[in-house]
Amino acid sequence: MAVAHVPPSGTWYGATLKEWIFTTDHKKVGMLYFITSLVFFVVAGLFGLIIRFEQTAPGIHLPGMFGQEGADLYNYILTGHGAIMLLWWAVVVWGGGFANFLVPLMIGARDVAFPRLNSFSYWSFFGASLLVLLTLLPPNWIKMLWTGYAPYSMNDNAGPTSLYVLIVLLYSISSTGGSVNMITTIVSMRAKGIGWTKLNLFVHAIMAASLIQLFGVPALMGSVILLFTDKYLGTNFYNPMLGGDPLLYQHLLWFYSHPVVYVMILPAFGVFSEVISTMARKPIFGYISMALAIYAIAFVGFETWVHHMFVSGVPDWTRVLFSYTTLFVAVPTGIKIFNWVATLHKASIRYNTPMLFTFGGILMFLIGGLTGIPNAMVSIDLGISDSLFIVGHFHYVLGMALTFAAFSGIYFWYPKVTGRMYSEGLGKLSFWLMLIGANIMFFFQMYMGMANGMPRRYPDYPPIPEWVQLMQIQTVGALIMSVAILLSLINWVKSLWGPKADDNPWKSPSLEWSMTTTPVGPNNFKKFPVEVPDDWHPYAYYKGYHAHI
Amino acid sequence: MAHEGSHAVHHEVSPWALPVGLSPFFLSLAAIAYFTWKMAMVAVVTGGIGLVLFILGIAGWANEYFSKGHDEGLGFQGIVWFVFAEVVIFGTVFAGFWMARVNHADVWVREWIPPGGMNLALVALLTLILWTSSFTIWKAEHSIEHNDLGGYRLWLIATIILGTVFLVLHAWEWLHLWAKGFTISSNMYGTGFYTLTGIHASHVLVGIGMQFVLLINSGKALGKKTPARAASYYWHFVDLAWLLVAGTAYIVGSYGKF
Repeated sequence: MAVAHVPPSGTWYGATLKEWIFTTDHKKVGMLYFITSLVFFVVAGLFGLIIRFEQTAPGIHLPGMFGQEGADLYNYILTGHGAIMLLWWAVVVWGGGFANFLVPLMIGARDVAFPRLNSFSYWSFFGASLLVLLTLLPPNWIKMLWTGYAPYSMNDNAGPTSLYVLIVLLYSISSTGGSVNMITTIVSMRAKGIGWTKLNLFVHAIMAASLIQLFGVPALMGSVILLFTDKYLGTNFYNPMLGGDPLLYQHLLWFYSHPVVYVMILPAFGVFSEVISTMARKPIFGYISMALAIYAIAFVGFETWVHHMFVSGVPDWTRVLFSYTTLFVAVPTGIKIFNWVATLHKASIRYNTPMLFTFGGILMFLIGGLTGIPNAMVSIDLGISDSLFIVGHFHYVLGMALTFAAFSGIYFWYPKVTGRMYSEGLGKLSFWLMLIGANIMFFFQMYMGMANGMPRRYPDYPPIPEWVQLMQIQTVGALIMSVAILLSLINWVKSLWGPKADDNPWKSPSLEWSMTTTPVGPNNFKKFPVEVPDDWHPYAYYKGYHAHI
Repeated sequence: MAHEGSHAVHHEVSPWALPVGLSPFFLSLAAIAYFTWKMAMVAVVTGGIGLVLFILGIAGWANEYFSKGHDEGLGFQGIVWFVFAEVVIFGTVFAGFWMARVNHADVWVREWIPPGGMNLALVALLTLILWTSSFTIWKAEHSIEHNDLGGYRLWLIATIILGTVFLVLHAWEWLHLWAKGFTISSNMYGTGFYTLTGIHASHVLVGIGMQFVLLINSGKALGKKTPARAASYYWHFVDLAWLLVAGTAYIVGSYGKF
């Protein structure tokens, strides 16, 4: 591998353009992932605003163009909002951005296990991103919704099937490479003295998420490969006329696409744990149960997928069985929430921006989790399935919990990554606006689904005054949220010129804070190989330990 | 990759992951251009770019690893995890095949099995060839463990030849069945049969590709034995998968009309 020398006082980001493009360094690859993810988050957010624009008043307001109608544009925007938010933001911001940057630092490794494979994964993800940008051209609009249910997705009116399939495939190649890399790194590259019970919970979360990706993504690949062969090569997998079954598509899709919500939320839980323990100045309560709960969620997550198909025509006994398994997820999740509360109990909490975003994220997760219980019960779900209630529910439990966690994590590690301190005032303002906006938006979305029976996905609705009002309230919430996100984006850019940060501004014993310079140097650690004292623990916030830091 | 210490501060780079990483993008463009945009020329050009990027990238990547890399022994673990993912990909096609076999058992046996049934003697021959190759690659691995480069090359070449013979015979079998009117779109048996065996054959091809890369770089293999172990493990997986693929596609598929 070619080696370019820079002065020993260098920073991880102080490299030439060529070194950035050909980089195999986990920090730079992580940053490339992160920037790409953030750009697509903004794009998908704008898509969400377009949906609000369309729904604020009855009727179709989006313009038709290039032979396609306004409703076609709406379907494209809806597909794009879902697919990009889930795959490009919710999964990649963790597995690509945060995990790449932080995991080697947290386990005391110089890099990931396969640095070139890491770079390969990014560039194939980049290729998938270019394919996504191709869909912006009207003839390439994908209008089959992000799930791409067969046989609808084979219809030419639903958009170019091949483009959808190949976007998913490229994404899957990248993600399989990434998860093999992360798992091998965590299993084999931990520094001496860092056992499985001394790993950051964020690392445990990434381990569990990578295992889910490794076993789940191939099912998604299978579902779209068969879609491709059905449409273009004449196979019959989803064709009931000759022995196929469209339900097979749903089973394969949800076998991955349910567990993937834990790929998105487990790292968010990891961030909550890091931030709570650090800002409460206490070791995380029940560390072992926290770690086991992560793996329990990952395991049970593979046994619940049919709850997405309660109205798809599956046998009653499956519906009952999967209703129970779904409710069972609440047990390990409850363990985590109670442990966070117990960690905060009698602590002197620092209410700074990362902590506020973590509180907000847990609150949103709690509301989303509790509204998930009626969804898991078949008899109730039959009534509220495909209504706006479910849309509000998953925006709480997934969209908001995860975005709050990501923002919390960005603020939390901002000093370590950039070497500068973010603006606390602007961060807190952004938090409060986001909390208020998100609750206005998604509470009334749930309300409309439950109380008024407004179906999801529809661009248009009858001009009932109450419905129009409810839609307008949601739009106000969405606008407040947009301002909040904009404020945070401004904060992150502006603070690049902010005050210099210390090596360990949070006084944390976790390796990424205590053993590196700020910003991190190209070789990660001040001393390598990393050595930790016997009584070291990433959450060692007990009296006397801080002599070590 | 240098893991030794903090004495040299440098930015790790490699020019080869980028072309290999971008090749799926160009190959995808080719597929989309061919099937959806109906622009055959664009498909040929982008497909060509994708293939060139892939082959050059892999060649450069392997050369860089064998010339300058460090063997840290992690590649074996990496391929073990990767094989788990492969098992699930196979599982999706098996799921489709078995669902149809169970749900449509009557019409399957009555109408879908090609007249005369399947050529089970050929399956036995294919199995023999593939399992012999499992032995030869084990011999190759064994040779390199004992620093016997000559034996390593010889057994690698034997494995490549056996794999290629398997593919050729398999292709001949496909053409033969296709000519009899048993095609990929006839019914779910045809669909399942060609997809299962096709996906398996594509894995055989990938395995041969790995062995080919090993053979080209065999001169520098003495200090770097993990790739040989990893390729061998992958090949054993492909051979073991054949048991399930052949058992399903041929025996379970044509059971009732042997």
